[in-house]
Amino acid sequence: ESRSWDWDSPRCRAELDEIFFRQHDYIQSGTPEHKDFWAFFERFQRFKTKREMSGYDLGLPTDYDARYKINLSVCTKDIEERLGKQHKGGRSSSGPGRQEIAECRLSYLHFLDFTQKQSFNKLAKLRREQKNLPIFQYKGRIIELVRRHPVVVVAGDTGCGKSTQVPQYLLSAGFTQIACTQPRRIACISLAKRVSFESLNQYGSKVGYQIRFETTRTTATKLIFLTEGLLLRQIQQDGELSQYQVLIVDEVHERHLHCDFLLGVLRTLLENRSDLRLILMSATINIKLFSNYFNSAPVLQVPGRLFPIQVTYRPISPEEQVSRSEKLDPRPYLRILQGIDQRYPPEERGDLLIFLSGVTEISTIQEACQIYATHTRRWIILPLHSTLSLAQQDKVFDIAPPGVRKCIISTNIAETSVTIDGVRFVVDSKVKEMSYDPKAKMQRLQEFWISRASSEQRKGRAGRTGPGVCYRLYAESDYDAFAPYPVPEIHRVALDMKSMELGDPLSFVFIDPPPAASIQTAVTYLKDQGALNSQGELTTIGTLLAQLPVDVVIKMLVLGSMFNLVEPVLTIAAALSVQSPFLRSSQQNPDCATARQHLHSNQGDPFTLLNTFNAWQVKGERGGGSRKWCRRRGLEEQRLYEMVNLRRQFKDLLKSQGLLESEDGASSSGSRGQRMERLSERRKLHQLKRDHEQQESSKRKVLRLEEGQEDSSGSDTEDRGRQKKDKEKAGHDLDIQEVKFKLRHDVSELHDAVSACQDLSSRKQALLKLLVCRGLYPQLALPDEHNTARKDSDQVFHTKNKQGVVIHPTSVFANDPEVLHVPEDDGRETKKDSSKHQLLAFVTLLETNKPYLTNCVRVPALQTLLLVANSVDSNADCSRLVVDGWLELEFKLPEEALKILSTALSLRAEWERFLLHQLGHSSVQESSTRKVSRKDLEKLSDGLVRFLHYTEVSYSIRRLTALQTQNLYIGCQAEETTFSGVNALFPGVEAKPDPIKGGLCVTSFFNYNCLSDSRDLYSDCLRAFWTCPNCDLYMPLTPLERMQHEATCRPPGEQQQPEESVSAKTNSSMSSLTRVYHCDICDKDLTLTSTEILKHKRQ
Amino acid sequence: MATSEPPPKLFVCELCGLSSPFSYYGQKPPNTRAIVLLEECFVTKDPFSPDKEKFLILGSTCSVCSKCVCAGADCSLFYTKRFCVQCVNKHLDQFPHQIRAELAKKSCSCPCLTLRARSGRSLRADQ
Repeated sequence: ESRSWDWDSPRCRAELDEIFFRQHDYIQSGTPEHKDFWAFFERFQRFKTKREMSGYDLGLPTDYDARYKINLSVCTKDIEERLGKQHKGGRSSSGPGRQEIAECRLSYLHFLDFTQKQSFNKLAKLRREQKNLPIFQYKGRIIELVRRHPVVVVAGDTGCGKSTQVPQYLLSAGFTQIACTQPRRIACISLAKRVSFESLNQYGSKVGYQIRFETTRTTATKLIFLTEGLLLRQIQQDGELSQYQVLIVDEVHERHLHCDFLLGVLRTLLENRSDLRLILMSATINIKLFSNYFNSAPVLQVPGRLFPIQVTYRPISPEEQVSRSEKLDPRPYLRILQGIDQRYPPEERGDLLIFLSGVTEISTIQEACQIYATHTRRWIILPLHSTLSLAQQDKVFDIAPPGVRKCIISTNIAETSVTIDGVRFVVDSKVKEMSYDPKAKMQRLQEFWISRASSEQRKGRAGRTGPGVCYRLYAESDYDAFAPYPVPEIHRVALDMKSMELGDPLSFVFIDPPPAASIQTAVTYLKDQGALNSQGELTTIGTLLAQLPVDVVIKMLVLGSMFNLVEPVLTIAAALSVQSPFLRSSQQNPDCATARQHLHSNQGDPFTLLNTFNAWQVKGERGGGSRKWCRRRGLEEQRLYEMVNLRRQFKDLLKSQGLLESEDGASSSGSRGQRMERLSERRKLHQLKRDHEQQESSKRKVLRLEEGQEDSSGSDTEDRGRQKKDKEKAGHDLDIQEVKFKLRHDVSELHDAVSACQDLSSRKQALLKLLVCRGLYPQLALPDEHNTARKDSDQVFHTKNKQGVVIHPTSVFANDPEVLHVPEDDGRETKKDSSKHQLLAFVTLLETNKPYLTNCVRVPALQTLLLVANSVDSNADCSRLVVDGWLELEFKLPEEALKILSTALSLRAEWERFLLHQLGHSSVQESSTRKVSRKDLEKLSDGLVRFLHYTEVSYSIRRLTALQTQNLYIGCQAEETTFSGVNALFPGVEAKPDPIKGGLCVTSFFNYNCLSDSRDLYSDCLRAFWTCPNCDLYMPLTPLERMQHEATCRPPGEQQQPEESVSAKTNSSMSSLTRVYHCDICDKDLTLTSTEILKHKRQ
Repeated sequence: MATSEPPPKLFVCELCGLSSPFSYYGQKPPNTRAIVLLEECFVTKDPFSPDKEKFLILGSTCSVCSKCVCAGADCSLFYTKRFCVQCVNKHLDQFPHQIRAELAKKSCSCPCLTLRARSGRSLRADQ
């Protein structure tokens, strides 16, 4: 209010006099003292001005008070009262006095100031770290490049910050709808967390991730991290990918199949979307390749963070080298721990990271190191691999107490997927990599030399937070001999690009085209699996395959939906697609083993998983109860939740493909009240989920020295410790899994599903096994004939491509191999003959130090082979069969063999017909035909079960040797004339002579009389008298004629089924039993059934 | 996903370059109830708190030179008013000895703080 204040004006002074120098004041206006005051005032003002000339007067209070340092104030109740006049009058005497309030206020203000400082320091630290990243100075340049070019390559070495910073730079530059792909799911989650934190959006959803089961994406999301596979599927749904403006493809140098493929797809996509921005991020290797692929896109190279890393080569001496069967020698590793203890004082922090090839190696080294650690009390040994429970995995991020180092023993998961700060020492040895063999359709984890690029990557792990040391357990000359880059996975992995409808895979423009032969192999493989038809077009199964992140199991799903076995098949399919919930560490624990006992099924591992899942579901009261239940049985709860999610995904997929009737109204049913109730419950659950997410940002814990010991023994001390922790938590921390679970699923619906697949009748179980086996085909293994004489641990099996494989120790059959043996006691003539031979169908052949079969099911050999095999070859009297060119079955009685073969042929024909019908049916829905097929289905499943259960034919089975397979077939030598005569017997089916094998192709899978037998070649002409059980035919027939008759002859009751209505496709082959037959003898065209033709010919 | 929206106003410290979007400038940030600021501040929602109503003061203008400075101790000081660190040093003699002692102490302990910050551990994705 110094509007026009003038100190010298008498009016202004008079006004002040009115305030200070009134009549009753100490100094009164007009007195000499009053005059003196104004004189002093002028002098004082002059003095002040003089001081201001010399320097600036800050106008600070003369007395120090800490209160002055606080820039905020708070209007509390006492002040409100004071300001709002004192009409409240006397405060009650018992309340706080003025002084107490003042004291409290002061603390309060200091507290507010403190919280401000705390948050501000966090922000400042964050910004400082961002600024210190090597990439920071390129921020402007990156944004400019992206604005001006459709494709930009950002190349930077480990630690330059590209993965976390580039997306943020784009966000801050105003880009939205950004997608950033990662090769691994775990990276999506951790990057989304980090970037949302760094972009100050920790509690918002501006930055999110999307992986197989989970997404944090909302409408507010501007930046999403997702896997390459997921983006590919999004492209399948929206070829333009219009939901994104900017795509960042990270880690392109890793050259995974998905990534290479994605780049190829994006290259085409860019032609249609000139507005799309693509940023490739890579390590500084092979940059030109990427730039050239995208029309010489500009490259921005960023140096990595420069902490020096000292490299020491310590090749393992020959006597410490391991042979294949032996355990890894821990001595070279122990020496490194000792060396660190000797050379570096414990106050100098820094942890050790050891790379090993597999879980077995990890536990060997862990055991040895733990002894050393317990002795020295200077180390905490922690394993890190993907089969550990999440809680155990998480421990590697915790902090060791002072004077103690963490020793993390890891698979290559820590090479790129997980970054552990504070690592100063790295031990690098030869490491196995999981790769995929498209021919054998199995995963192989084989030891092979790592590439220079990946060993550099590992070395880099030592220098993330300071100077480090890298010990390489091989010679420098080995390093020089490494391949410069990892062999691109595209050369090793089967292609399923056909499913993307990109035309001929051979003409696809890859960044680095794989050999045409390997693409050809992949296409053949897809045909084998039934994903492509013979013309190379996508089948319904193929379409399904393309939409799911899994493959082997999907056939199973389609088959299951047909036989009303959808619920158990869904569970098994889901269980086989996630990692096993059975924790390895608890395998030795006798308590777990006992608790698990009733879950085991000696039918096979998929059935054990089915039992486990059902038992867990039935458990009902989940939450804490579930966790306890899982722990008692040594189960990883997370995996079970994954199964639930995947199961639901499968189910949705089947529904969307029309393979499963959607239970419309089931969820929306119920009274309005019930719906409201559910709605409010969901709201409550959502709130719980939010609350949990807020709590989640807890700080890293400090590890206890005993941490590692507990793990290694897997003892119950850990259990007790955890229980205690759980109890502490239980109060406020409601199980978040449970909450998410309830949000996603209708629990009651799930219970219904469980009851649908519990207590499978032996009939259903047999059928289910057949479906699982057909899904897993061609992954079959034959028990070695001498297994009965071997120890449990020495049981050997043979697959088509690999002899001498063993059952993985986690399988039920590893502990109970007798169920696979042919029973001794049934009166057999020779040792090998039996009707009880079995085969194993398996999910993967995992090749580590031994080739292992995982997730096995046992199935009756003969019946299963005849029902699922792609190729069955016979000799003339069908006493000898060769299946898929590697399994030979010999029958004592050709008569029996013939009978079972022809039953199998007709069952399969029926089955294929239904399958075709089912797949084709999905779009056109005619209820009338469906009803018919349902009844027929019932009959088919009856037939299949009877076939599986009651086939009692004595036979021998063996694997053919390489030499035997060479001279297996007659080859092309047939006289066309005799064949054309036989050919006439097959209506609809064109039984053609096989040009390669010789013999006759009777169906797509059965080739008659192509095996070169030591017996005579003309037995196909030998006829024997036979009576048809259906019609009254009694006549001498050749085996082929007899089979043919059986295939077409129906029991009298169903002879005239109007099958035309079923499917147009099958009409030509099945609907009409009669056909036009031209008889050469009487020179007439007759319309006859094939039986009638036979009769006619005889006349 | 959200389509583009007007870019948020950015607070930039003229001394250290620290930058962050701010949502309010003034003495009475929204939703802060009884709290009043004793200076005009650049304020944002506290990004480290799940509570939507918690605010964070980023900085303000120096009462002497009117530079825009952040609230960090390396850049400014509040003592009844905001002073940028340059102005504090220019007029050091006018500050009470307690403040001067504090400043002296800070300048020697600063490097250690930086070191500790560097060895901080956090779960972070690669690169």
